[in-house]
Amino acid sequence: MLTLKPLRIPSRTHVLANGLRVIAHEDPSSPLVTVHLMYHVGSKDEAPGRTGLAHLLEHLMFEGSEHAPKGDFDDLLERVGGTNNGSTWLDRTNYYETVPTHAVELALWLERDRMAHFLPVLDAEMLETQRGVVINERRQSYENRPYGMADERLHQMLFAPEHPYSWPTIGYVPDLEAVTLDDARTFYSTYYTAGNAVLVVAGDVTAERAFELAAHYFGDLPRGPVIPRVSLDAAAVPAAPAIRRETMPDEVSFPRAYLGWAVAPYGSREWVALDVLAYLLGDGESSRLQRALVREGRLAQEVDTYLYPTERCGVFGVVATSRTGVAVETLEDTVRRVLDEVAAGGVTEDEVTGAIRRVRADQVAEMAMLEERADSLAYAATVLGSAEKLEELMDAYATVTPEEVSRAAAAWLGAERCATLMVVPAGDAEVRDAA
Amino acid sequence: MPRNPSPAVLPAPRLGPPPPPRVPVPLRWTLPNGLRVVAAPMHRVPQVVVRLAIRAGSVFDPPEHPGAASFVGSLMTEGTASFSAEALNARLDLLGAALHASVGHDFAEVEGVFLSETLAEGIALLAEVVARPTFPADETERVRAESLDALVARLDEPANVAEDRVALETFGAGHPYGLPAFGTEEGIAGVPVETLRRFHAEHYLPGGSFLIAAGDFDADELRGLLADAFAGWTGEARTAVYPPLREVPAEAGRDVVVPWVDAAQSEIRFGGIGLDRRAPGWVPAAVANYILGGSTITGRLGANLREDKGWTYGARSTFTPGLAGGGWIAETAVDVEVTADALGEMRAEMRRMSTEPVPADELRRAKDALVLSLPRAFETPARVASRLGTVEAYGLPADYWETHPARVEAVTAEDVLRVSRVHFDPARLVAVVVGAGAGE
Repeated sequence: MLTLKPLRIPSRTHVLANGLRVIAHEDPSSPLVTVHLMYHVGSKDEAPGRTGLAHLLEHLMFEGSEHAPKGDFDDLLERVGGTNNGSTWLDRTNYYETVPTHAVELALWLERDRMAHFLPVLDAEMLETQRGVVINERRQSYENRPYGMADERLHQMLFAPEHPYSWPTIGYVPDLEAVTLDDARTFYSTYYTAGNAVLVVAGDVTAERAFELAAHYFGDLPRGPVIPRVSLDAAAVPAAPAIRRETMPDEVSFPRAYLGWAVAPYGSREWVALDVLAYLLGDGESSRLQRALVREGRLAQEVDTYLYPTERCGVFGVVATSRTGVAVETLEDTVRRVLDEVAAGGVTEDEVTGAIRRVRADQVAEMAMLEERADSLAYAATVLGSAEKLEELMDAYATVTPEEVSRAAAAWLGAERCATLMVVPAGDAEVRDAA
Repeated sequence: MPRNPSPAVLPAPRLGPPPPPRVPVPLRWTLPNGLRVVAAPMHRVPQVVVRLAIRAGSVFDPPEHPGAASFVGSLMTEGTASFSAEALNARLDLLGAALHASVGHDFAEVEGVFLSETLAEGIALLAEVVARPTFPADETERVRAESLDALVARLDEPANVAEDRVALETFGAGHPYGLPAFGTEEGIAGVPVETLRRFHAEHYLPGGSFLIAAGDFDADELRGLLADAFAGWTGEARTAVYPPLREVPAEAGRDVVVPWVDAAQSEIRFGGIGLDRRAPGWVPAAVANYILGGSTITGRLGANLREDKGWTYGARSTFTPGLAGGGWIAETAVDVEVTADALGEMRAEMRRMSTEPVPADELRRAKDALVLSLPRAFETPARVASRLGTVEAYGLPADYWETHPARVEAVTAEDVLRVSRVHFDPARLVAVVVGAGAGE
């Protein structure tokens, strides 16, 4: 077993009477404070036909509230040297500000205002402008990017259309165009409540002061309605992909193989083993897939592996781009062969040790930023139930064994569970269709 | 679902004075071989970032082999006198350590990111790859093929095409800054390994190079580790001679359109000549740029194109300094239908900057944002290494960051107008559009 000093993000949690969970993380090493508000709502909570609503609402939330009208939010924070942002994903939406210590109350006041006094300013003009911005974001970040539509398609293949992980967080354009003011109002009223949020105050402020300020700025707000949750059945880990195999033409020069699997959810012991496996396969020049596909095999220009830390089930992916003249099917066969070898038990102690250290290096790099520490705490509290679960999760890596990694590959990454999407140069696909 | 009664209105908080900016004051020393060291210990996380910068950028490319410098950088970690590529990678991966080379126009940089418990071996490996790479034929040919494929793949993305083109239009093919540091297909395909070896022998030398370390280490221990690791490495690197920069781009005032079939958006870039990082005008120019496009949402470009019009996900501008001066660039991506309108609005914002004094309140906000954000700029080892690297690369005063707030505070609206006339006047800038043309 690898002996490493455990990584810690020390924190204390206090729950207000309205259900708002407040997490304080003290760190006086820089004169900075991060205020991070995470709502337990993401694209998985959207109704079919209204995909993209969670993310569109996040955009609207930056357009002002009753006492901090349009422009004030960014303006006030910028004047104190602060920064702010927000993001939407499958399971959660977050808003955060990082400010010099003296401005912590400004950040809390602004978040209070948009939790308590947002609906009166939400109007049709605001919705139209941000609808345009989001459709442009979709074009810029997905449609106008080579391979930009692959991830969206892979999710449609992995999950049946009714599964809430089947649609993209950015949403479909016709759905975005159909969103009404009422949709936005109802979504906000349902999910943007004290009872559905986690507030992290991290940095150069004591826990006592953080709890005091949280009570002052959020204690009087209502808990909010009982949240209609996506049923566990509807969002279960599918036993097999909805669509196993597909070829997608794109304006690209090289074919790229996307292999995806729906796997164990974030927080489970198996998810940790799969995370070690993702590093062992694809992170580092000596990792299995780098050697088999790039360095020794000379089949691919690059290969990457990833594992989503998602709530209902994880998503494991392998992405490899062909070198000139290499058929994309060869990449798929090679990935399959490597996964079979790993599942059959050929993993060494050194490989696992290295993978765990590389996970640790990435965790340490993230922890260097206050914003990332606050995010990790908020995410653990939101999707795992408490901030303390984060420590258990980080500690679990040190005890992962080669046998566990092999078992995880065998249990979750079998060929029968795999969705395979081949993105090919548009010209090649036409030739194939004609043949 | 109504919320009754409406929650109370709390008064906006009255803020106390901001905390005084704390900027790390690093230790500096020079090794007997001339390598300058800047060390900033910080112990929040068990990580050390080490950056070694060498005067070996693309400015030194042999004229017939653009991309040679970059190729040398890619081969640093592909085998050394003591380690095959395979053995080196296995060792780095077992330590959880990363070594990456990146080659720009002026410098080649090798960055090591280490867990503090593996620092000693990490430093030794960093020194090994920098001082003793062997350029094995087998790995060289693999990296060559990968680099050539990467050049082709890069051009699938309209944003990359726009980036390369605006540099060419701004600086011209006769200046190293006009060409991408990663080179050309011909340059990489034809360069013999012997040329790469010679390039390394001539340019990868400690005299003139500098090493920045930031993170969780003991300075005395680091001193010993560096002295041992770099003991056998000697020599003085040449300084580059750059051709003079143009006053303005050759096509200044015009649009250069690169058609793109079925573009969802037009990628727009404005390029112009910037100023020297060491020039007294740098700080006023940075303040002026902050107002125009330093922040993608609240800058004038973003406020207009994104927040007011909803045409784009963001618009921003930045100075891109180099040892030989540098450039300035404004960038956005908009709906193809509004390409001409967006060009017009961007020019109008630039013209407003270069003809009208900036209101006092807007200037105040920019100064506060720049000064009060300093703690964030020094939050992590990687950011500290980057900020201290700027001081070393340009030979700025050792107390540059400590005295930075005072320089920002001294900037006046007249200063902003003066630098804006030189750098943001649309007549002095070239526009590049990849996508639908302005007339379509």
